[in-house]
Amino acid sequence: MSLALVGVNHKTAPVEVRERLSVSERELGEELSVVSSMEGVDGAAILSTCNRMEIVASVQDENIVDEIVRHIARRASMEREEVERHFYLLRHGDVVRHLFRVAAGLDSMIVGEPQIAGQVRASYQTALSRGSLDPMLHKLYEQTLRVAKKIRTETGIGEHAVSVPYAALELATKIFGKLDGLQILLIGAGKMGELTAQYFQGQGLKKVFVANRAWDRAQELAGRFGGTAIHFDGLVSHLAECDIVVASTAAPHYLVKSEDVEKAMARRRRRDLFLVDLAVPRNLDPEIATIEGAYLYNIDDLREIASGNLETRMQKAEQAEKIITREADTFLGRLASQEAVPTILELQARLEEIRATELERCLRKLGPITPEQRASIEMLSSGIINKVLHYPILRLKEATSDPKPESGAAIRETIRRIFGLR
Amino acid sequence: MAASFPLYLALAFYLAGTLTVLGSLTLAAPRFQRLALAFMALGFVAHTVWIGVICTKTGHPPLTNLPESVSFIAWTILAVKLALWMRYRVDAAAFFLYPLVFLLLGLSAVVQERFTPLDPELRSNIFIAHLLLTSLGVAALLVATGFTILYQIQERAIRQKTRGALWAWIPSLKACDVVSFRSLTIGFSIYTLGILAGILWSYRTSLELRTPGIKEAGAFVAWVLFAVLLQSYLSGNYRTPRNLGIAAAAFVAIIVSLLGIEHV
Repeated sequence: MSLALVGVNHKTAPVEVRERLSVSERELGEELSVVSSMEGVDGAAILSTCNRMEIVASVQDENIVDEIVRHIARRASMEREEVERHFYLLRHGDVVRHLFRVAAGLDSMIVGEPQIAGQVRASYQTALSRGSLDPMLHKLYEQTLRVAKKIRTETGIGEHAVSVPYAALELATKIFGKLDGLQILLIGAGKMGELTAQYFQGQGLKKVFVANRAWDRAQELAGRFGGTAIHFDGLVSHLAECDIVVASTAAPHYLVKSEDVEKAMARRRRRDLFLVDLAVPRNLDPEIATIEGAYLYNIDDLREIASGNLETRMQKAEQAEKIITREADTFLGRLASQEAVPTILELQARLEEIRATELERCLRKLGPITPEQRASIEMLSSGIINKVLHYPILRLKEATSDPKPESGAAIRETIRRIFGLR
Repeated sequence: MAASFPLYLALAFYLAGTLTVLGSLTLAAPRFQRLALAFMALGFVAHTVWIGVICTKTGHPPLTNLPESVSFIAWTILAVKLALWMRYRVDAAAFFLYPLVFLLLGLSAVVQERFTPLDPELRSNIFIAHLLLTSLGVAALLVATGFTILYQIQERAIRQKTRGALWAWIPSLKACDVVSFRSLTIGFSIYTLGILAGILWSYRTSLELRTPGIKEAGAFVAWVLFAVLLQSYLSGNYRTPRNLGIAAAAFVAIIVSLLGIEHV
């Protein structure tokens, strides 16, 4: 029995292919049933996200993978050759390493992104609830989630922002701590500003104000965030009330001057103000940065933070790869030794049975003997059995560390045949 | 078991905690933070036992000489730090407070004096109140100093758009501000009451004020500096970098006054 994985991801297939192959949440249960009921498949799990679709299966015979690929092609109404052009196929040890890397975010489009661990967990839970996991896959997923957590804790790979909106959010939390109860002023309805506001709104802001030259657009955006549209002329008066200001208009001049912020700061008392200028040309006077309690970041500042963090992430990814190699080797070793245990136990039982039978026969022939003599004979027979078992057990254990699972299986089979085990 | 065993045990845990937390800084390994916290928590337990031993042996609070006072201050600082960790999950203060706690208890161990029952002349509620209030006040003011420094470091990093080694561990500016301001107001009030109680006790026991020594001079300078710092906070000028210098000077003055303690 071994592991196999077939799938596509953002590196091997364009979005047009991925969207055809993706399995929606609604279809997941049915797909799991189809794959796990194929002959030779002991268990299966499916991970389908916007960047990847992968089927992990524990199989008795690796040829069954062809059947799985044929099924995927049929389901997506694609030619098998076309599917195979984008697919990757991984076997046993590579499956373990790959799954560990995926859950740790090392195989993601943005390295180290934390959402994927949750998606792997969801995939595991769905398969678990559908009863499509065999013990081997069950152990694999539990270990995968453990390794992903370990990597996050030990390397801190997902800690820092690698996108402009997230960098702004991270800075805001460095200034204010929790963002719930704060108010944000969105100046302009540009795409980047909207995206940044979305990030902030997820943190439980109290209120969103939107100021835009086009009143309709201001109202539309405010409605989307459950906020209030304000007139452009009134935005300066809102500086004293809001804690975060995000500007992203196409205006060719400064919309907020340093005098405006100075006046606002006088009314704010011990409350800091965080200003994010995403516009080019800039909308916020750079002199604002010199005012006590006002922290101004422009698009270049945020980009620099994001790219610096990305570099740090890549270094952490190297640390994570080492952890994965170590953890995968340990897991595979454990998996293989667990497969060898039944054979070792059976072997020991078989020879012990022979020893006990032969000993009884011998003792009957010998007639009355002293307890000391009996103990000596028993010790002799046990010693012989142990010597005979030594090398077969050693070979079985050595085979567990063989990277190819089929080698271990072949040795187990040979020993079973030689000793006549069932 | 030797009476000093809990002291040395606490010291060993504090040393382990301090080295681990400094290691986490140089190796940039966040997991060491939790390990350091665990060491310090174990040290705290041993330290508490040690304070209990002093109380049992002498029959009075462990505040009557230099080793006892610094040990109690170290204990209080760590108690505040652990409480802050539970409330704010503040890790950065560890870089400042763990070595401080270790050094204070180390000082207590180095100048260890024999357990001496309190001089009957000194036995008075005012004296005990003086010792307790100044010790608690000093602990709170040291915490305030630590967080003022952290605030200044983080504020500078945000303003200059650079990230120092402590960036990830220092809590938000708001948390630093809240903790330092509260510790400062509470610590300053308690410390002032403690000094007043000391003056009153000195007057009642010898009918005249004691000649000021290192302890009194250090305490006075620290009190003035903390008063300036508090004024700076109350007037809204808490962001000024000048506070960093004031906090550092107040810290030195407090340490000087601690070194001058000689009650028994």
